[in-house]
Amino acid sequence: MDIKRLLVANRGEIALRIIRACGELGIETVAVYSDADVDARHVRAADIALRLGPAPAIDSYLNIPAVIDAARSAGADAVHPGYGFLSERAAFADACVQAGLIFVGPPADAIERMGSKIGARALMEKTGVPVVPGSTPRDQSDEGIAAAATAIGFPVLIKASAGGGGKGMRAAADARTLADAIPAARREAQSAFGDGTLYVERLIARPRHVEIQVFADAHGSAVHLFERECSVQRRHQKIVEESPSPALTPSLRDRMGRAAVTAATSAGYRNAGTIEFLLDGSGDRASFYFLEMNTRLQVEHPVTEMVTGTDLVRAQLMVASGQALPWRQEDLAQRGHAIECRVYAEDPAAGFLPQAGPLALYREPSGPGIRIDSGVEEGTAVPVQYDPMLAKLIASADTRDAAIARAAAALRRFPILGVRTNIPFLIKVLEHPAFRAGDLHTGFVDAHLADLLSVDAPPDIVTSVARAARTAPPAGTGSAARAEDYDPWSRLNGWGR
Amino acid sequence: MARPEPGRRDVTRGAAAGEFVVRDGDRIERLYAVASGDVTWVFHDGAVYEIAFDADSAGRRRTARAHGALTAPMPATVVAVKVGPGDAVRAGDTLIVLEAMKMELPVRAPGDGTVRAVHCRPGDLVQPDASLIDLE
Repeated sequence: MDIKRLLVANRGEIALRIIRACGELGIETVAVYSDADVDARHVRAADIALRLGPAPAIDSYLNIPAVIDAARSAGADAVHPGYGFLSERAAFADACVQAGLIFVGPPADAIERMGSKIGARALMEKTGVPVVPGSTPRDQSDEGIAAAATAIGFPVLIKASAGGGGKGMRAAADARTLADAIPAARREAQSAFGDGTLYVERLIARPRHVEIQVFADAHGSAVHLFERECSVQRRHQKIVEESPSPALTPSLRDRMGRAAVTAATSAGYRNAGTIEFLLDGSGDRASFYFLEMNTRLQVEHPVTEMVTGTDLVRAQLMVASGQALPWRQEDLAQRGHAIECRVYAEDPAAGFLPQAGPLALYREPSGPGIRIDSGVEEGTAVPVQYDPMLAKLIASADTRDAAIARAAAALRRFPILGVRTNIPFLIKVLEHPAFRAGDLHTGFVDAHLADLLSVDAPPDIVTSVARAARTAPPAGTGSAARAEDYDPWSRLNGWGR
Repeated sequence: MARPEPGRRDVTRGAAAGEFVVRDGDRIERLYAVASGDVTWVFHDGAVYEIAFDADSAGRRRTARAHGALTAPMPATVVAVKVGPGDAVRAGDTLIVLEAMKMELPVRAPGDGTVRAVHCRPGDLVQPDASLIDLE
């Protein structure tokens, strides 16, 4: 059952993350790519690289037959789906198994069971895990959805029954806003997941999003690796995640952890997964509600790795090849604090509009307690076809305050030019008094948007440098040699840099 | 690169492309800058500035488009056109819905006005700065 050659059915930073873990285990890797990613880092990092198809995801990274063909022709014996793309498609997990490949993830039937919000919720109710009031109306017409919303009580959230990641999700405060929200949610659901079925639920005011990492093996063991607080979101997508959550007490953490393990076990789950909860209140008296299960590795998994001292991808590969979980529950503990900031090519001032184009300058910071998981490099053209996340910056330290300070200082040393990014915005989040106080809820970004978007006029020093950059050699040719042409004195002494 | 007189700022290129070292008396700061098209991008202490190429005074952001033609902000697919020529619109109304990177991007009216012309249809792939709709 040992994995010898693994195909990574993904791109970007997560493909590189998986390739790295395989390298440590002596597993050969097969990268796949679309025409937009011919020169991408993940392609060069693998041992074998195969083209999947044209740039649109539907023709490449979402094309199940093309991925299976690639695995066959490369002689792979296993497939890791990463997150997004095909990672939560039961049909893909099934196709892998049919083709004799190990799927590094849960069994297809567990994906199916937890992938449907309706089915997952019914299962949770049966096993005694608390859920938020809501329903998937049998009548999926605009009128049917509106009637369900009225019955549940406003405000409501309308979401894709088949989806996750905030795609196809709309909030409606009242019947009037519902008219726009329903068709928009349906279109997004249809285009993102190929299924426009909508689900309506009660919107809990100022909830926290706190999720529990779970892990189960094929030998009947299941553990949790504590929580991640993911309340800082924009467009219902997480941008800053941390562990531990400032809201949990030991007893609440224990209750949520045990509920998450129950949820995973009842689903017949195997491998890494995440149980997302909405947390209403904080401390011992807070209530938590099952939101959904993500049947895959999460974007924010490094936060858990940093505080528990584990390697979740390595554990995924071990469990997928039939080995037992590398830890018992009593082996696991949280130590210190970790914060992840997702660096996106986007313009926060323009409603977080995704940005595309070449990264004219891109320099990652480094230092003690700083981990960068990225999929790009200087010169990479950020394509329009995929999620615009460039990198994840994970800072860990012994306390929350120290981790925040470390993350903010690292972001101040993370220059990216040529494409707008959310780095200035992330710094404002980390330095906001409410964030520092741990006063978080999923509406944090909207509630503090004006503060977070505030910009100062450029200081004099910036205009001086802009002027120097204009008179200097053009961008892209500014090697050290060109710099000498520009400043003949710099070749005579190396100091001051 | 001797120590400049206090109050006089010296800007020199650093060792890496795009890196600039600024010395002002004993103070040293490191910035990054790249000229790209008509703007110069500058990174300073976590903030990014886009300085207009032809002006010394600078804005952090491109000035917002006023009225007139509404354009596509990036390559995108038109998924819905909610208005037609002659329709009266109010500030903030959604006129067109674009989709890019799996996200819907509403194009909203910047002010009250009337739709003069619509230049796209659902399903069209539009390029950045392509005119989508004319308002008056």
